[in-house]
Amino acid sequence: MSGEPTAVEPRPAIVFAPEHDVPVRYMERTREYYQALGFSPYRWAHFTDAPFTPLARPLSRARVALITTAAPFQPEAGDQGPNAAYNAGAKFYTVYSAPVDRVPDLRISHVGYDRANTVPEDLGAYFPLARLHEAVAAGRIGSLTTRFHGAPTNRSHRVTMETDAPELLRRCREDGADAAVLVPS
Amino acid sequence: MSLAARHLEANGIATVIMGCARDIVEHCGVPRFVWSDFPLGNSAGRPFDRESQILTLELALRLLAGAPAARTTVASPLAWTKDPGWKQKYLDAGKLSPDEIAERRKEFDVVKAVAKAKREAS
Repeated sequence: MSGEPTAVEPRPAIVFAPEHDVPVRYMERTREYYQALGFSPYRWAHFTDAPFTPLARPLSRARVALITTAAPFQPEAGDQGPNAAYNAGAKFYTVYSAPVDRVPDLRISHVGYDRANTVPEDLGAYFPLARLHEAVAAGRIGSLTTRFHGAPTNRSHRVTMETDAPELLRRCREDGADAAVLVPS
Repeated sequence: MSLAARHLEANGIATVIMGCARDIVEHCGVPRFVWSDFPLGNSAGRPFDRESQILTLELALRLLAGAPAARTTVASPLAWTKDPGWKQKYLDAGKLSPDEIAERRKEFDVVKAVAKAKREAS
């Protein structure tokens, strides 16, 4: 001990992310919102386990299907533009399919996307068909199925599980899909 | 969408979901999930940002090929904005006045009626 004061190196502060920067609690937010409006609470589908099928062949040889909740533009169904209010008239109620070799005109005015924070002007942000074509061209995936499929989002869980999901499966099988990329909007 | 993924997977087709609502998708329980911490509507990446869309799809493809088990979630490293303030704005009921609540309720009833008519016609 020399008795002389020693210089203490200041230690850098530990910087964490802001406390509130966590995944948005959509279920809680939606529940509170609709409760405030006087509606009874919605019950989301809930399971504690999930099925699992390993990909049957290497990705570079796999055939991939694309499934979307976006809706084909319907000229008679009101405003479906990027700034449209929630448009129930633009909904669809049965599974649809369309060829992947052209760019479809798909809109999302019929669903509850985040209108406070985003404007759906770029199809690529909610429908990755162009990026999938590039992945095929690059040899990253074997091929795409000749059609993509649209999944209705607005019925009961029962209709989804007993009607729409089996129909999507039927079409994916018909197209020889090994895998499916599902993109809700 | 989660229910459809479960059904395909249970019947031999490997699936991956690309989405933004982490709690809803994980509450349902799906085989593979790429989560982007972006406003709902941007499941496949940021608008007009090719690189972000390429990265998001690549995460999905890697999951398809390599997820070790069901319920695997990969969080995209991308942030929507540096400031997370956007997260407060989605369906913020706390900020509505009674008049606004009545107005929204009325709008929602109209939406429901339109949907019902369309559903019954289809």
